[in-house]
Amino acid sequence: MNRPLFQIFFLSLSWFNLINGQTCNLSLEGTITDLHDRSPIIGALVKLEGTNYFSQTDFDGNYQLEGLCPGKYQIIILHPECPTVKKRINIQTSQVNNFDLEHHINELEEIILSEKRISKLRKSVQEVSLDIGDINSYGSNTMVEALSYISGASVLKTGNGIAKPAIHGMYGSRVGIVTDDFRQHDQEWGPDHAPNIDFNSFETIQLIKGAAALKYGGDTSGGLIILSSSRKQLKDSLYGNSNLILESNGKGGKITSMLEKTYSNGFFVNGQFTAKQFGDFHAPRYLLSNTGLREADFSIKLGKDKIVSGWKFGYSSYAVETGILKGAHIGNVEDLFYSLNSDEPRVIEDFSYQIGAPKQQGKHQKISFSYFNLFKNQSKFEWGYNFQVNDRKEFDVRRGGRTEIPAIDLVLKTHNIIGSLSGINIENWTFELGINGLLQDNFSDPNTGIKRLIPDYLKYEAGAYVLGNFQKSNFFIWEWGMRLDQIVIDAKKYYDLSVWSERNYSVVFSDFEMQKTGSQILTNPKLFFLNFSAQTGISSKIGDRFKINASYVLSQRAPNASELFSDGLHHSIAAIEYGSLSLQKEISHKLLFSISKEKGSIIWSFEPFISKVYDYIYIEPTRLEQTIRGAFPVWEYNATDVFLTGIDFTSSLSINREFKFDLGASYTYAQDLQNKNPLILIPPLNSYQKLKYTPREGKWDFEIVHHLNARQKRFPNSNFQVNLIQEGQLVSETVDISTPPPGFQRLDLYFSYNLKNRSSLKSQIRIIAQNLTNSEYRDYLNRMRFYSADLGRNLQVQLNFKY
Amino acid sequence: MKNIQNLFKIKIMVLAISLVYSCSKDDPDAVNQQEYISNVVLKVQSSDGSSQTVNWDISEQNTQSINLKANSDYKVEVSFLNNSDPSDIDDVTLEVIEEADQHQVFYEFASVSVDVTSASDDVKDGSRGVLIKSIWNASASGAGTVRVYLIHQPTNYSGTTREDIGGFNDVSIDIPITITD
Repeated sequence: MNRPLFQIFFLSLSWFNLINGQTCNLSLEGTITDLHDRSPIIGALVKLEGTNYFSQTDFDGNYQLEGLCPGKYQIIILHPECPTVKKRINIQTSQVNNFDLEHHINELEEIILSEKRISKLRKSVQEVSLDIGDINSYGSNTMVEALSYISGASVLKTGNGIAKPAIHGMYGSRVGIVTDDFRQHDQEWGPDHAPNIDFNSFETIQLIKGAAALKYGGDTSGGLIILSSSRKQLKDSLYGNSNLILESNGKGGKITSMLEKTYSNGFFVNGQFTAKQFGDFHAPRYLLSNTGLREADFSIKLGKDKIVSGWKFGYSSYAVETGILKGAHIGNVEDLFYSLNSDEPRVIEDFSYQIGAPKQQGKHQKISFSYFNLFKNQSKFEWGYNFQVNDRKEFDVRRGGRTEIPAIDLVLKTHNIIGSLSGINIENWTFELGINGLLQDNFSDPNTGIKRLIPDYLKYEAGAYVLGNFQKSNFFIWEWGMRLDQIVIDAKKYYDLSVWSERNYSVVFSDFEMQKTGSQILTNPKLFFLNFSAQTGISSKIGDRFKINASYVLSQRAPNASELFSDGLHHSIAAIEYGSLSLQKEISHKLLFSISKEKGSIIWSFEPFISKVYDYIYIEPTRLEQTIRGAFPVWEYNATDVFLTGIDFTSSLSINREFKFDLGASYTYAQDLQNKNPLILIPPLNSYQKLKYTPREGKWDFEIVHHLNARQKRFPNSNFQVNLIQEGQLVSETVDISTPPPGFQRLDLYFSYNLKNRSSLKSQIRIIAQNLTNSEYRDYLNRMRFYSADLGRNLQVQLNFKY
Repeated sequence: MKNIQNLFKIKIMVLAISLVYSCSKDDPDAVNQQEYISNVVLKVQSSDGSSQTVNWDISEQNTQSINLKANSDYKVEVSFLNNSDPSDIDDVTLEVIEEADQHQVFYEFASVSVDVTSASDDVKDGSRGVLIKSIWNASASGAGTVRVYLIHQPTNYSGTTREDIGGFNDVSIDIPITITD
């Protein structure tokens, strides 16, 4: 402290009072600083209530009161931009007391308010956000299933336990998932690979159609799903929630609980866990043997959010074991033929919680650290580091006691670093720029004793983006963004010598050859991709009720490891899959429009889109290959040009204060332009309608939901022939894996009752009936449709607590 | 200025991480395919002691034919081999015998009629023969195909057609068969 300077201020600002003759020679001094950034607070008035003692803080935030008599006082600190602080203080000796004030309270509250609602990522693209609490209340299903309430999003399933999101008919590497600012990196390429995420550790979920959120990458032509934690409150509080769910189908349940402590100085700590256990699920007429599921997840988040700066640390662990329908394990195309023509699964056993082969195990751990800093001009600097380890094992029924040895054993480690500078305002323009770096290491364990489906590889990515928007009034926004990514894939893979020469790789890719061992050749494919992606769009309000968005998105995606390197037998569909080293990057152009009415008793939105993708990577059956198990169809990755278009519609009508009716529908058309064929696995026309009744008085509400899925009539023909011996004769039969099942309807009921509604504890009981009519149907987007019907009726009881 | 410094810090971190990883990965080990079956061998012995061996090889996919006389008993022994490493041929039949309760060998015939029964020295699981060793007896002359199956985890051991038996195929190959009077 600068003594002489202080003296000057002291003289100029302090005033002494020596009215009484007693020995009043004590002093009180200290510093007053901003709670958030520790800067001194200048000009705050410090007084002792009921006396004439006061002092004003100097440029360093210091105050001093002298000549005080011993006694108890109430100290008051006043500042026009801070809330007034009052503290009781007992002065017996001279002392130093420092205080923290919350500066710029008006400004900060604005920030908190605007960030409490999750801010929209791109304003010219319609996006949907849901509260995780709402998702939970629709059942204990996976995060992905919750997306089925969003028009345009659908769910690709393998049985009941494995679900992955699809947007406008695209999935896998074309749909990105972001958790707390970092892209999720697991083995996302497989249609039977569910994202390894526990959605209960987040508060909101946003869905953006198209690769508009360039901040997180430019390769997701389908769209992005963004899971976020909420901004913490700056107050001392402890709160949490718990959900207990019990279900009849699968005779199991889920428990999830979260507890969060926040402090007024911005520090917070949050802990959360989820546990699930289910036995065999059942279809309307039979049990689905070996479809049980076990999951255990937990996460810890802590940090300090001082509004103008802050840091966050997070760790999460996810572990799941999912059984796969026993009747779906097939050895060859004959087995597939018999399964397809059987009315029920070929293996039905008694109910059990045991999970045997075939099954999948997934473990995902994430650790992340991030820091942000807000500058005086309101621009924000952020950086973060994230490390993820994904461990995926698949078990098959094997001979010689090898069932315990995984058939696929992949460990994927990803380091990710991001940095950005956002909120750079220049007149009506706002800019954001950022960079990211990624290092990925995939290891495929050779101890499986089965040829690797995916090889060992290293992947490097470096990206940079710039986003800008122009907003002159509240009625019109123009925004644009660009992104450049360099991707390097450095793999080490064994090829069968016969395959290496048959596919002409020995000529085209002779540079990759390393050494020959027996009938195999070790190669080192090094592949480089430079991807440019961009987005531009406008958002305009018409009057105060209507809004129009239009956006163009260019996205480029490098082929993934499966598309490049796949090599082996895929049991569940009896197919031999081969990747292709010759694949180029996929280039997608997408135009998205939306017109919506956002106010009034009827709100609605229409969202058409149109898209053309060049070098779209797809897999097609090409020939038959003879194996020891008979002839198998060979599916090879190839590229074509495709055209997609579709429309999503949502609406909500408040009939009166008691009744609310929602209607949504979605249709996607997708055509392979080169082969003049429809694309495979495109969701058929589907719709939902909801009617909710909330009585004016009473503590309950009731909701009825009806789903309608039409039959997909546009599909490619991937059927093939199989020779069977029937009644002593060799006959040729068609294995029909193409024809989609008939359309279906499903009826769900929800009833909730608020047990207690106090500020300290809110509890609710919910009773849910899913597939109320126990209707038997097969879903085109469920891979298990070849083997069994979808789930039958399920009754659920939920207990939800908030405290 | 501070921004630039911070961006610089990030660059250093990226550089540091890439240094750690800049060395390429170790060469992966070749996978020793344990369950692989490359050959199905049928040893056919007539009651007069003469014998023939048909060796179906995945790489050659040869069409050697089995020749039988009608109305006489033949003893057929099947074995499954993995010769992907010719210096160390693995007899997978031993694993099948060890897990006799989970396996079933099965023969299906097209265009010819052959009766198959378990041989007296066949591998048994309870009263059921696994048909590793079997007795074949053709009822009439003709030319056709025999499909040799190795079925894993059958659901109905007494089934008389492939569809009835259930389970899934570990082996399914076709061998021509000729029956003379």
